[in-house]
Amino acid sequence: MAKKILAVDDDPDIVIFVKTVLEENGYIPLIAKNGEAGLAMARKEKPALIILDVLMPKQSGIRMYREIKSDASLKDIPVVILSGIAKRTFLRSQEALTEFGDESVPEPEAYIEKPAEPEELAEVIKKFIS
Amino acid sequence: MEKDTKTKKMLFVTQFEELWFDALQSLMDLRKSGFNHVVFLHVIERDKVAMRRGKGYLKDQEIKLREMANVRFIDWAEDLFVQGMEVGAYIVVGDILPKIISTAEEEGIDLIVTGRHRRPKLEELYAGSETLELLRRTSTPVLVHKYMLPSGKINEKPFERPLLALDWSPASGNAVRYLLGFKDIIKKVVVIHVAGEKTFKSDSAMEIQAIRKKNRQKLEEVCDAFRDVGIDTESHLYVGATCEQIEKAAQERGATMIVGGTTGKKSLKEIFLGNTAKKLAERSVFPTLLIPANIKHEAS
Repeated sequence: MAKKILAVDDDPDIVIFVKTVLEENGYIPLIAKNGEAGLAMARKEKPALIILDVLMPKQSGIRMYREIKSDASLKDIPVVILSGIAKRTFLRSQEALTEFGDESVPEPEAYIEKPAEPEELAEVIKKFIS
Repeated sequence: MEKDTKTKKMLFVTQFEELWFDALQSLMDLRKSGFNHVVFLHVIERDKVAMRRGKGYLKDQEIKLREMANVRFIDWAEDLFVQGMEVGAYIVVGDILPKIISTAEEEGIDLIVTGRHRRPKLEELYAGSETLELLRRTSTPVLVHKYMLPSGKINEKPFERPLLALDWSPASGNAVRYLLGFKDIIKKVVVIHVAGEKTFKSDSAMEIQAIRKKNRQKLEEVCDAFRDVGIDTESHLYVGATCEQIEKAAQERGATMIVGGTTGKKSLKEIFLGNTAKKLAERSVFPTLLIPANIKHEAS
């Protein structure tokens, strides 16, 4: 049975790109346009993997990632960050939030800086979903 | 940094003309008052990508403008994210005012920060002032930010010494309550009331003195409200043309910002209304914080 993958991104062009890659590789894409909607969908659908942008309206990928990794029912879902924000910034931002008193969270399973090649994205996904 | 129970959101509207990252940095003090979430908004004006005869919709131009804004916002966001702040961004095509209003509503914004957006003279003649229109249509406080001081230096802490101009209207009361929410960053509030020359038309000196006394008492009551929450304050009574006197007071009292309530277009009797707000927002050298009469989000 095809596995569901949640893509959270506000850029319509990226959404089309990710959706196409997922469909061509036999996955069922679920789409959310911001972290708030993404988190709600993750809780409802329990996807096999989450592809997450960082700079988005309503709730950023930084906060959404933190929520996922702090939620017992979601924390084991692999997260691939797909963003224009540098990985170093993402990690430092998580460290800053931990310093301000939030729980520590692990590094994301994979980090791809935009733009991604379709093969690159497909390969990373396959690494986490057999 | 202390954790605030409610994170407040600032909408930072930039057309990359007046407001750049240093303007945003000058507002970082607001974090002490709970503003830990910044939402960027850049509106690509419709006429920049509109249909042209023989060319159709300028999709290439839209992509170019979007990506230019995106590069800037990513750079700015990285700076804020590593400080533990939350950041969001909108890059949209359309008319600036409706986009500011819809984004503020969608995000539940507590403070709109914008530059001086002026329509061309002719357009303003029939469409009115953009600043006034924004103030009429939003229930969110608006900071028309001018972060460069006349000296050429950056106004690094605009909330440090605000000048609060009061006309004793309900909108003025909103402005007082809103400023009280910034007690962690305000060092001193300069409270003023500008009495119009008409106020002194009586030929009785006693009557004029009574008016002066009454205004002084009201000013003192406002000062007490600030002192009660630990904000230092001073009050002054000015006489003359409202805008000119407010600007003069701000300069001679060393203010970092001008604050006032706005009444909307209907309450023509009130002093700090329409034209005054517009003039100060568009012409004053000081950042101008305008609190709408129907304010939804309070700082405190």
